[in-house]
Amino acid sequence: MEAKFVNCEQVQEGLMDWLAGTLPSTEHQTLEAHLRQCPGCQQELTAVRALWTSLGQLPTPEPSEELRPRFYTMLAEFQATEQRRQRWSLATLLARLRAWWQPAYALRLAYSLALLLVGLAVGHGLKQSPALPAPVAALPPTATGQQAQVLELLANPSAVQRLRAVSYAEEVAPTNERVVAALLSTLNQDPNVNVRLASLEVLTGLSQDPVVRQGLVRSLQRQDSPLVQSALADVMVQLQERRSVRPLRQLLRQENLNQQVKDKIEQSIESLSTDRAPQPSTSSTDHEIHPATTADRPIAVAA
Amino acid sequence: MLQVKAGQIEKMGLLFERYHRALFAFFYHANGHSAASEDLVQNVFYRMLKYRHTFTGEGEFRTWMYHLARNVLADAAKKHKASRYHQDVADWTEKIAGASTADGSLQQAQDVALLHRALARLSPDQREVLVLSRFQELKYEQIAQLLDTTVGAVKVRAHRALCQLKEIYLKLENGSKVREL
Repeated sequence: MEAKFVNCEQVQEGLMDWLAGTLPSTEHQTLEAHLRQCPGCQQELTAVRALWTSLGQLPTPEPSEELRPRFYTMLAEFQATEQRRQRWSLATLLARLRAWWQPAYALRLAYSLALLLVGLAVGHGLKQSPALPAPVAALPPTATGQQAQVLELLANPSAVQRLRAVSYAEEVAPTNERVVAALLSTLNQDPNVNVRLASLEVLTGLSQDPVVRQGLVRSLQRQDSPLVQSALADVMVQLQERRSVRPLRQLLRQENLNQQVKDKIEQSIESLSTDRAPQPSTSSTDHEIHPATTADRPIAVAA
Repeated sequence: MLQVKAGQIEKMGLLFERYHRALFAFFYHANGHSAASEDLVQNVFYRMLKYRHTFTGEGEFRTWMYHLARNVLADAAKKHKASRYHQDVADWTEKIAGASTADGSLQQAQDVALLHRALARLSPDQREVLVLSRFQELKYEQIAQLLDTTVGAVKVRAHRALCQLKEIYLKLENGSKVREL
């Protein structure tokens, strides 16, 4: 170290440190000692130092006002794209998962997939069989789309639709037992009197079928509407259905029975037990609701 | 910067506030064009964001920053080789000269203009060492790290650059004196 700065070359080596002020103090002293002896170096150093100083004083213009907003716009945009990229990195994560994947897992996965497929197939089969039967599968083999439509319409919440269904049933599938059952249940349970009367009318046309006849007889006890009761009594007389005498008598015992209906039932019972030809009445209400059933019968004056 | 790297991108604003002037000066002294320098500053901050994962935190942030800045500068130089330096340095120094004349320090303004011109005539490498050590006040160790060389080599380069600058300066000074006469 002490040997340093003995010649001018070495002075130049230390020059930059000297200028930057990072020259260690011992070397600083040695340098100054050399400078005292060497005017050449001294001159050079002075000149360089002046230049160094004026370099330091060299002004730099300020960046314009636009720089700052531009930077912050860029930063915001970058943040936005970065957030989008993070969603992408989810894909990268999946890729890494794939890299971590081992062949042994493939078999397990295949196995579980197969099980899953079997489960799905079974579930699908189970789901389908009860879902389809209601409208179609439970129908006899002869069931057609029209019959299914009738059944569907009979379950419709709109009374108008159910009325349509009943007349539709007469057209398309009167002999189908499923449809007959549905019509009977409509006769017994439908909340709307007109619908019940309409189905009664259709069922009367089907009275050759013993199931229908029996259903009509049984229906006597289930009716509470005077209109349907008297219409049913008419039908019983028309069909000469003796089995209906007992339910008709039971009906007479009901306390709140309509007087007109009572008269009619008594007539009907009488007609049935005397084994005479039908003597249907033509009460005004019957006419209004049941024009079709009464129109083709001989009109008689009410008692 | 480590916070930025960890995902707090908004912290970049702090770094911008702290360093954008220094970066601007770095580019300005390299190309002498302030609008272009602003573009480059913007570019450096963009690269900081984009390549933030390359910042390890081991070296000093400024070294890393100047590393990016040098790359940006080199890329820009490749793109427009024709438009190097000058242009608005001249405009700007004239403005300074004009302002200084009012102060009566014409001589000083001329010196500044002269020094600018001299600096412009240095080779890019020499100018860069001087800019980094004098204007950016990086230590020779940092410059050596940045330029991927030894401290000794940086000092030698800086010394040579300074000597070169002195020669150019003197030549320019003589030339202008001759013209004045």
